[in-house]
Amino acid sequence: MAARTVAKDIITLRGSAAIVSEFFGYAANSILYNRGVYPEESFVKVKKYGLPMLLTEDEGVKSFLANLTAQLSEWLEAGKLQRVVLVIMSKATSEVLERWNFSIETDSEVVEKGVSREKSDKEIMREIQAIMRQIASSITYLPCLDEPCVFDVLAYTDKDVAVPFTWVESDPKLIANPQMVKLHSFDTKIHKVDTLVSYKNDEWDEQ
Amino acid sequence: MAEAEMEKITTIDPETEFLASKRKNGNEWETFKENVRPLKRGRNVNLLNHALNSHTDNQLKKSLVQQRSKLIQAIQEYQGDDPLLPWIQCIKWVQEAFPPGGDSSGLVVIYEQCVRAFWHSERYKDDLRYLKVWLEYADNCFDADVIYAFLDANGIGKPHSIFYISYALHLESKNKFKAANQMLELGISRNAQPIEKLKAAYRQFFARSMARPIAIDDSVEKLAPTRSFGTVLAKGENRAPLSILNSNRDPSAKNDRTRAAPLSIYKDSADTGDTDPHKPDPSHSWHTLGARADRNKENNAIPGKWKSYKVPQRPGTRVGGATPSAFIPVFVDEECQDSQSKKAEGCKSSSLKIRQEDDKELKRETELLRKNPLRNFPQNSLPR
Repeated sequence: MAARTVAKDIITLRGSAAIVSEFFGYAANSILYNRGVYPEESFVKVKKYGLPMLLTEDEGVKSFLANLTAQLSEWLEAGKLQRVVLVIMSKATSEVLERWNFSIETDSEVVEKGVSREKSDKEIMREIQAIMRQIASSITYLPCLDEPCVFDVLAYTDKDVAVPFTWVESDPKLIANPQMVKLHSFDTKIHKVDTLVSYKNDEWDEQ
Repeated sequence: MAEAEMEKITTIDPETEFLASKRKNGNEWETFKENVRPLKRGRNVNLLNHALNSHTDNQLKKSLVQQRSKLIQAIQEYQGDDPLLPWIQCIKWVQEAFPPGGDSSGLVVIYEQCVRAFWHSERYKDDLRYLKVWLEYADNCFDADVIYAFLDANGIGKPHSIFYISYALHLESKNKFKAANQMLELGISRNAQPIEKLKAAYRQFFARSMARPIAIDDSVEKLAPTRSFGTVLAKGENRAPLSILNSNRDPSAKNDRTRAAPLSIYKDSADTGDTDPHKPDPSHSWHTLGARADRNKENNAIPGKWKSYKVPQRPGTRVGGATPSAFIPVFVDEECQDSQSKKAEGCKSSSLKIRQEDDKELKRETELLRKNPLRNFPQNSLPR
């Protein structure tokens, strides 16, 4: 009987940072599309992670996300990034309606000693694919956003990190008594990303 | 050190705590996503997963139906000072426990019986919870016109902006733009709360009106409702690039779709109308009628004895029998009548009780209510 070996790919810190930051870019686009923050006609379909993904064609959002992912990649390589949160707020009242929380655990040994890890690209892609599917399915339990909304991105970093001038200190923009749903996670063996969405569960006596 | 650690634990945010606890939600919501009707207020995922398991577990399905019966019983037995509360609890539970919605959930029947129980109550006229039940009922009916007219005529939900916004959106969906505009203006003039939300809705309505290519005047509005065949998505011009210093990405500038222009009707210029559509085409005429046997082929069946044929009887139908929905009028002694009238307003008459109907009956009643939402209301209460 022939034994089958699974091909393992060598993953470096830089490679892992690129995978995670790229994932965040696609996840952000997917959230903005699926939650109707931007009109659907401003998105274009591309194939990524073996799935049809939607990317914004809005130049402003495109440049914002491009700058964001570049900065995240830098922080991930330095092992300084703990969490990235995409916050959806009411445009009229600035009330926080949803928080998409991407929590990151970094293998400190890789950062300190520069060693690499092994994991197949296919396996990582499958894990990311599962998260993307869940983002698309989340409309089954999330509240309808029936008012114009804006989004913001919060980055939780180590205290000693140098903050670029394009970033400002922010409050955590938390939701009081939120409903929380843990989505799938993915692991590059260097960075482990846990995904969670928390949302405001509207009550009947609220305006 | 221990003190500092304790401080850290107490100030931990709920999301970090949730992730650290390694709690699992279950993924039934993902597996059965096609069977879930999104709720405006969102859903509790644990309840949703529990309800979705009933697709594969008959015992669980039975327990959900039993729980619904208990909640209905609780409405009838409620003795507290807020008789609307058990109705709200029941509605919320049914919405969560029957994710596909649909007729078998009994939700439409519960909405109707709830709104009918309190429509004359001064106490609940301005209650936001009661108004929301009405609006959800309207969402589930084929034509909500009659419901909004009823609410307007009876002054239900007057102080709440959500009433004017919902009514205006409904009117706008029927191309009654002038009436929608008047409704929003009426809400603003009445200072309906929260006024900011109402003003924001008015601004959005105004923006949509400006984007509309052709102004529709009243004469057109009064015609039969127009039908749109598909949606034309207009691709707006690219906006000026946003600076990364802008912490909020604001999509609203592009968020309104432009209304499709009227369809132009294509006329074929090649055909000049020479052919008369009523003239018979000689190429397809019958030149022969065929043999007698061909013409009489329907009459080939050999007649048999009628004695051997039994007319099938329709089981259970009797002329003049009581229909399932008919009620026997209950005689009330005059002495007892006084004590009965002193009961709290929350106690419903027998006609208001939610009957423990089987699925077929429930579906039938739901269908009737969708077509005529106020069918069980007294005639004199309906708007003229």
